[in-house]
Amino acid sequence: MAKRVIIVDDSRAVIATAELALEEMIDTGVIEFKSYLNPLDLLGALQAGAENFDLLISDVNMPQLNGLELAKAIKSDERYKTKPIIILTTESSNEMKMAGKEIGVTGWMVKPFSDEKLVKSLKMVLGV
Amino acid sequence: MDNIRLLIVDDVEDNRLVLRAICRKLEGFEIQEAQDGIEAVEKADSWSPHIILMDIMMPRLDGFEASKIIKERYPHIIIMAVTAVIDPKMEENMASIGVAAYIRKPIDKDLIRFKLQNFSTLLRSKEGKHKKLSAKEALNPFCSDIRHFKTIFDISDTDAMMDFGMWILGRCEERVAALCTKVDTVIELFYEIMRYEIRQGGSLAIIIEESFEEIYITMKYDETINLKPKTMVLLRELGNACIVRDTIVCIRLQMQQEQKSFEVKEALPLLTTAVPVIEIKVEPQSQRVSEPMVLKEIPLPKETRALHSDEKEMLHQSFIYKTTAVKYVSEIGGDVLDEIRDLVSVDEEWRDKLSILEEEPSAQNIWNFVDGVLSVYVGAINNLFEFTALAYALTSLGSCLKEHADAVIADATKRKNVVMFMEHLGSDLVSWRDHIFSLQDAGDIHYLDSSFFSSCMQIEGMISNKEIETDDDNEMEFF
Repeated sequence: MAKRVIIVDDSRAVIATAELALEEMIDTGVIEFKSYLNPLDLLGALQAGAENFDLLISDVNMPQLNGLELAKAIKSDERYKTKPIIILTTESSNEMKMAGKEIGVTGWMVKPFSDEKLVKSLKMVLGV
Repeated sequence: MDNIRLLIVDDVEDNRLVLRAICRKLEGFEIQEAQDGIEAVEKADSWSPHIILMDIMMPRLDGFEASKIIKERYPHIIIMAVTAVIDPKMEENMASIGVAAYIRKPIDKDLIRFKLQNFSTLLRSKEGKHKKLSAKEALNPFCSDIRHFKTIFDISDTDAMMDFGMWILGRCEERVAALCTKVDTVIELFYEIMRYEIRQGGSLAIIIEESFEEIYITMKYDETINLKPKTMVLLRELGNACIVRDTIVCIRLQMQQEQKSFEVKEALPLLTTAVPVIEIKVEPQSQRVSEPMVLKEIPLPKETRALHSDEKEMLHQSFIYKTTAVKYVSEIGGDVLDEIRDLVSVDEEWRDKLSILEEEPSAQNIWNFVDGVLSVYVGAINNLFEFTALAYALTSLGSCLKEHADAVIADATKRKNVVMFMEHLGSDLVSWRDHIFSLQDAGDIHYLDSSFFSSCMQIEGMISNKEIETDDDNEMEFF
């Protein structure tokens, strides 16, 4: 069964570059891809039980809610506690990474990203 | 130097009290008061103040007449007019007798303190050991035959930067209606350099030399001036009006030919509070070229996928202080806001030009999109002075698109992707405008910069078929 991958980023261009990078995985049915521009929409859907994921890829700097705050809120929910969250951001400071680690995010990837490496990392996390 | 002697002249006691209260917080000032013009002249004789805050409307002898007498007797005394009367004619009259600043009531206490502090630094430096620059020593590499007009700014904070901008605009207006050189570009260039160096904790000197025909603005720094990608674009725009050395950037403002006979009035730089520089080492004559040196072609960063250090810096730049959209919008001028609002018309154009490109794929239509839409956006963003990364990303992407236009047209998938990405970038910019300027709900105005920049780099990579190389190992880091 296809793994559900959700990306949340306030930039449509970032979502599009990720989608293009994952095109093959999507086309071959390895993953199903869903995107959110507003982290609050995603959080609302998750809390209402209307959304689910096998892997979440999140940006950090978003106008409505910071990606780390989002991750924290999701991780505090029993239903999603063990689900992997990957941070995809231009932020590369150690402080931020440490904050992410404390919250319990699985991995940190710095933009601009290489398509190949994104695919490789995803496969690793999803075990596909 | 002992204390700076400051004389407050106002016929209303409350006003004197307010001014005294404002000035009391300044260190190294000794304050006395006078109730009208006659007392002010007497105090000038008996107490030799360094600076006078002068009200204008007063009984017996008004501020204008008093200032005239005092300036005649003691030209070195700095007089600042403080008045509730908005009278351009009076401002002009005050300026003509050498009044250094004109401050309107109600009093902005920070402005007064700022100006007083700057004047105080100026006075202290004048009295000290530092030599004054000789008017004969031209610093600019364009022309050694300069006249007496020489103005020097010490730029160490953004206020001083603004003062310089205001001064140069005023000066250009005063001297000629139109200059050949693009003054806006010049100011933008200097702001870009200054903002960067100030952020790094540095301070720059700007020396303005004037002949009857031209104005030369030389920016001097202790170390090599950092030229960011955007400054390079601006430098290229200015072409041979500009000379760059390691520690010097010099611009020549030329007058239009037919206006060369324009009579130049020598005037004091009004309301200029940037502190004159104390000491400047003038480059030895031998290093100066007699012929204007044309700026060498500076290669624009494009095509290559190895991000250079400036790009990396922009990508990972962090803004220590988060600026909320509400605060930002309240601080920028109405003109800029209008320009941003006008971008709504560019949105339509953006979509239209992309539709045309989709329907009639041609290199020309790519160029039309870049020149007709992208560059308009860049122009507006550049006026905001805060979104260098955004403007740079769009400029760089535009150059890349134009360069690879033929290849994009020849490859159907690539063409489709370009149109798709451009649509997304367009939407991103619309929502960026909403979050910052309309809804003003962004907690940090720079929320999009790096992301957007990184996307543009990746899109460029797709267009030029080159993988991005960064120093960072862009493997995922697992915790």
